[in-house]
Amino acid sequence: MEAIKPKSNRAAAGSVQCDNTTFNLLKVNDFVAKAIRDRLPEILVINLCSSPGSGKTTLLQETGKRLKGKINMAVLVGDPETERDAIRMRDVGIHALQIVTGGMCHIEAQMVYQALDHFDLTGVDLLVIENVGNLVCPAAFDLGEDFRVTVLSTTEGDDKPKKYPRMFLSSELMLVSKADLLPYVPFSVEAVTQDARDINADIEVITVSSLKGEGLDQWCDWLIERVLAKKNKFQEA
Amino acid sequence: MHEISLVRNIFRTLEEEFPYDFGQIRDIYLTVGLLSNVQPIAMENAFQAVLEDEPRYRKTKLKVEVLPILIHCSDCDKNTAVEQYRFVCTFCGKPSKEVIQGEELLIKKVEFED
Repeated sequence: MEAIKPKSNRAAAGSVQCDNTTFNLLKVNDFVAKAIRDRLPEILVINLCSSPGSGKTTLLQETGKRLKGKINMAVLVGDPETERDAIRMRDVGIHALQIVTGGMCHIEAQMVYQALDHFDLTGVDLLVIENVGNLVCPAAFDLGEDFRVTVLSTTEGDDKPKKYPRMFLSSELMLVSKADLLPYVPFSVEAVTQDARDINADIEVITVSSLKGEGLDQWCDWLIERVLAKKNKFQEA
Repeated sequence: MHEISLVRNIFRTLEEEFPYDFGQIRDIYLTVGLLSNVQPIAMENAFQAVLEDEPRYRKTKLKVEVLPILIHCSDCDKNTAVEQYRFVCTFCGKPSKEVIQGEELLIKKVEFED
């Protein structure tokens, strides 16, 4: 990866206004995100976001079991502290590496890029980046993913998409998780779908229950379809 | 949000852009879109906190401007200001994800001391 060099050595003598210069504060992140895309032309990359406790890790455990023998999934999992989630992945035979963000509320592209140096992706078809549980900050950081998927559990309430608009605006798919609790909580799948589509008319919605299995085949098919599409695109190119 | 790291990013960006003159920067004008989730007051507080550790920027001030969200409708070729996070064209009612303003996180202007 090339180093980012200063654009100029403009001399600012006296009083100078720089009306025509706008510097994007996320430019370093966006630059590294592109480097990740260039580095993984054949592997489908998913950025999995949600609030803490929505069931991302359990969902990925069940996803891994169902994808076994069909496609190879690897997981990079981000948390402010502990390696617990990576251990949970490995417990069910999923190739996983933990990114400990050291208290940071989101994963940045640089962390993913560095992790890739320590993560063998030979034979991997699908790389899921399980982001830090947070619906605000991760929305601003491109991680070089092909698709962003946001998980929203039925216990969080069906009014969440409009409270966290940028996350839902930039997601291709919303997974409504913990569907097995629907009979016990005041949550309407119809209302949450409407709320999300007010922001993002194209967002797809799949209702899943990691414990009971509902919707998991549909979710796995969604992934497999996109893994194959990316491979085909690579082979054509 | 992560205001402290954003403020450090502002300084890093400016040191990179003006390697010889960043010591003379007096006013920094930041433009943030509503979708960037940056709160001006939190940003200004974080700025003050970081200045404590950055003596060479002590005289620098930060001014934050928030921009509303604008979407473009390809059918009408018109722009709509998004209210209540409804991403729908006011003229034809068609949904649009084409955000033309509102995701900014930019240093818009920098003024140097005389």
